[in-house]
Amino acid sequence: MLRAEALSKQYGPVTVLDDVTLDVHAGEIHAIIGENGAGKSTLMRLISGYVHPSSGHLFVDGEPMHFSTPHQAQDAGIVLVHQEILLAEGLTVAENLFLGRELTRNGVVDDRTMRRIAAEKLGELGCRVSPNALVRDVALADRQLIQIGRALLDAHKLVIFDEPTAVLTGDEVERLLEIILRLKAQGIGVLYISHRLDEVQRLADRLTVLRDGKMVGTYPGRSLSQMDMAELMVGRELTALYPPRGNEARGAPMLRVRNATVPGYAEDISFTVHKGEVLGFAGMIGAGRTELFEGIVGLRPAHASVELDGAPVHIRSQREAIDAGIGYLTEDRKAKGLLLQERLAPNLTLSALGRFHPGLAMNKRRETDALEGAIQSYDIRVKNLKVNAGQLSGGNQQKLLLAKVLLTNPSVVIIDEPTRGIDIANKAQIYTFIRQLVGEGKACIVISSEMQELIGICDRILVMRQGRINGEVSGEAMTESNIALLATAEADVGRAALGGLS
Amino acid sequence: MTRNKWIAAAALGALLVAGQASAADKKVVAVSIPAADHGWTAGVVYHAQAAAKEINAAFPDVEVIVKTSPSATAQVSALEDLSAGRKLDALVILPQTSEELTMPVKAVKDSGAFITVVDRGLNDPAIQDLYVAGDNIAVGKNTAKFLVDKLGGKGNLVVLRGIPTVIDDERIKGFQDGIAGTDLKILDIQYANWNSDDAFKLMQDYLAKYPHIDAVWANDDDMLLGVLEAVKESGRTDIKFALGGNGMKDIVKKVIDGDAMTPVETPYPPSMIKTAIYMTVANLVGHAPVRGNVKLDAPLITKDNAAEFYFPDSPF
Amino acid sequence: MSAVIQSAPPRRERSFAIGWADAGPFIALAALLVIGFLINPDFLSATNLSNVITRSAFIAIIAVGATFVISSGGLDLSVGSMAAFITGVTIMFMNGMVPHLGTWSVPAGMAIALFAGIACGLLNGLIVTVGKIEPFIATLGTMGIFRALITYLSDGGTIPIDRSLREVYRPVYFGTVTGIPIPILISLAVAAIGSFILYKTKYGRKCAAVGANADVARYSGISIIKTRTIAYLIQGACVAIAAICYVPRLGAATPTTGVLWELQVITAVVIGGTALRGGKGHIWGTVAGAVILELIANLMVLSDFVSEYLVAAVQGVIIIIAMLIQRFSK
Repeated sequence: MLRAEALSKQYGPVTVLDDVTLDVHAGEIHAIIGENGAGKSTLMRLISGYVHPSSGHLFVDGEPMHFSTPHQAQDAGIVLVHQEILLAEGLTVAENLFLGRELTRNGVVDDRTMRRIAAEKLGELGCRVSPNALVRDVALADRQLIQIGRALLDAHKLVIFDEPTAVLTGDEVERLLEIILRLKAQGIGVLYISHRLDEVQRLADRLTVLRDGKMVGTYPGRSLSQMDMAELMVGRELTALYPPRGNEARGAPMLRVRNATVPGYAEDISFTVHKGEVLGFAGMIGAGRTELFEGIVGLRPAHASVELDGAPVHIRSQREAIDAGIGYLTEDRKAKGLLLQERLAPNLTLSALGRFHPGLAMNKRRETDALEGAIQSYDIRVKNLKVNAGQLSGGNQQKLLLAKVLLTNPSVVIIDEPTRGIDIANKAQIYTFIRQLVGEGKACIVISSEMQELIGICDRILVMRQGRINGEVSGEAMTESNIALLATAEADVGRAALGGLS
Repeated sequence: MTRNKWIAAAALGALLVAGQASAADKKVVAVSIPAADHGWTAGVVYHAQAAAKEINAAFPDVEVIVKTSPSATAQVSALEDLSAGRKLDALVILPQTSEELTMPVKAVKDSGAFITVVDRGLNDPAIQDLYVAGDNIAVGKNTAKFLVDKLGGKGNLVVLRGIPTVIDDERIKGFQDGIAGTDLKILDIQYANWNSDDAFKLMQDYLAKYPHIDAVWANDDDMLLGVLEAVKESGRTDIKFALGGNGMKDIVKKVIDGDAMTPVETPYPPSMIKTAIYMTVANLVGHAPVRGNVKLDAPLITKDNAAEFYFPDSPF
Repeated sequence: MSAVIQSAPPRRERSFAIGWADAGPFIALAALLVIGFLINPDFLSATNLSNVITRSAFIAIIAVGATFVISSGGLDLSVGSMAAFITGVTIMFMNGMVPHLGTWSVPAGMAIALFAGIACGLLNGLIVTVGKIEPFIATLGTMGIFRALITYLSDGGTIPIDRSLREVYRPVYFGTVTGIPIPILISLAVAAIGSFILYKTKYGRKCAAVGANADVARYSGISIIKTRTIAYLIQGACVAIAAICYVPRLGAATPTTGVLWELQVITAVVIGGTALRGGKGHIWGTVAGAVILELIANLMVLSDFVSEYLVAAVQGVIIIIAMLIQRFSK
């Protein structure tokens, strides 16, 4: 149905996409995988008319096509569901759905019909928000569905999904995958881009691998294991995704938290993390994990009695937490972690300015040295030292953020969603860094919604449900089903099911 | 505020001393003027309060009440408050704007009060019994005549004007009429917003632009202060006269001291409010007919008559 | 994993490299000077340029402070009335001290001015940070308060400085050192100190971080309240320095002193390349912006093209063109 032949795209002397040929049949799911910067997004933008190819041709149903605007691509039945959520937060759900193509009756905007159609469309997608709700008040997952609804409003033959599950969790992902399978059943072609290789393995009829703008090849789905896919993407053999756990015995308690309460989010939580230990925090979205730790490090009002390395500490602000030796990496690196418009060095040193301030003035030399050191130790890949943080890929941003927090030399590192939205090679590196940290005698707490990840790197996992700790798993008991049970079921039910393992 | 209270107390005291005069016999004269927000209005407030104090002391059966308002709407409310509690025998008003105050003043008139309007006319001249104003055209014309005379009808002038309003236009028109037919030439004329700082800058620019200037006229004394500072700083000797207008005490003092650059001044004195209050009281107490239009002349203030226009205690 | 080879070794940052964004206001300034010269050769005369740059000193000094406030994500509308208020307080204090201190009351008055400026800045800062009131509204409020106070102190008239101090104090505005007017030297000094604080110190980093993204700053352990309040303190001190230079020019404070300075100050900051929504501040750009504003007014008088009625319109057009030059020189 769609055929792209020898597509190439150059920006100046830089070739971002080189001679890519692929086709999509009606009723087929065709996945595109590749590392960040491999050219996946560029390919999508070429096909959907946002960017013009430098050379190559597009055919829809055998007819040669030339799109100079996304509108023309839409007219040909090709719609793109963007990776970023592009909705006007101050408008209602229905208004967003019809933004720029409002229905009118006698020249007046016909709100009633639009609300009706919006409710129908969202219902089909299994999204139960009111068409009158403001997008600002709607959960992230529902926003993603609204965005999909917006794309599917037009007549479509081919739907392109660009990382649709990046911001979704558990159930929400399942719901989305069902929607995609339903599109396939309706005879619609789907181009699917994702980092999550497990999803690709489940969905894809065929998959195309890109590396550095070039095509590695197109393979039938399900013929490749996830590890095979990862190796094709990276272009070399990968050792295991998760580094081996250290054999050292668990050290002395490093951070002991007792009776922590964050009003509205978490209640009466006590736990201890030891030197050399990676402690995981699992749970559904809204279980209060992020809020709990933001409370403990002084970013929200909370009560807790905290002991660090045996001595009680009193933390009222993030500054006091940092000075005491507790580092916290936010889950939202773009909005809360890094100054995207700033260069790398000011970002790196922002939490530890005192160390670069020997006299009256900042020591630029020392900052540059620190940056070069961080780039070396954390393998942050940059074109030059003068780029802004926003120009880095997600994985490199995450490594910069990690370097920034570690620059304050914390003894406990709390990492919230360590690998959200980053590619597989960077993920593996981050896991290695976490292991190195605890190898140096620090303690590490990892909050994650990816159960595989927690199982892969943690020594012990606490599971939260509705603001309370619902159970603990370690060793052999760290399985997805155990964690899922504790994350969803009542405490005693969960414990009974685990048979006293916790 | 405290001054108002003091006046009220004085009035009360006068009442007790007078003893015989009952409250019903007391003639009430309300004075409504803009609040002091720049030099000239500050002068108006000063003179109105001085007049009230003097009259309340001199005439036990007259009570003058002064009320200041920062805006036209506030002045409308003030009129309502003044006339709500008691019957006014007379109202002396310097309106913030003509449009908004015409109807409220008419309402006071309809209650039987004698109306004196000062400086800025109302839209309907039939409302007023007495109108007292300065002569803006004469401010410009008399200054022009002085310059024509002293420069022998020949020379280069620069002019600083204020804010685009009727007052400004009239002064400029009077000045242009005054130099018409002579060889005095206006090199440049620009707005300086009746503000000393703006005038200082504008005068510096004039000095940079024109190598020879015989005289400067700023149509207001606030601006003249800035002009004098700029001229002094430049060290230029070609400028023979720098004149202003309005009767600011610092400039009148210069005239008294025989300043060479500013030997004359034209008044548009804020004391006209005092003239108006006295005339109104004369009508009430002395049965002296005062109805009509009074245009205070803007004679040249020279060393000889300057003392008449000098109020060292006034803020203006 | 860490054995991955980097495609190109990162280049070291050169400390003297100046981006086009920083050069924008200076390009606009240079263009204005050339146009000015073509219109009227007197424009480039030493006297005229020295007058104009001296006149721009007040706005430049205040705008250096405003660069901090705006960079930290705030706004200060009260600077014009604050300048008038400080001027009034300073003159009254100096006059009152003459019998006791003689001419020493001038430096004493300067100290009082600085004290008053910092106090006013602290007031603004605390209302905005601790009171959590939008900077626009908070400083609109204090703008009215300071303006009313100077009107009250002067009874609506003028507060002139004592004659005996006039000549002593006069050189602070009219004097020169090696031919350069003192206000120019003061504003250069203020800008130099300002750029040192903004670019070289810990505080400067915090200021830009808070303005660029308050959440990131908070998560990095930076106190937003402290950082913003200090920015307002710096603004207050700059207003005080401007007031100190202003007093000897006309030797008086009036209720119309400093009217609309706040808008000129904000315009200078924005022409200088600092974004109104906060983030990185451009101190030297701000100074260039202040000079540009004053040059435009000067050019209007020196050219004969523009009717006196249209001056404001042409000024507006030139400011917009200056901003466009900046935008496209990026």
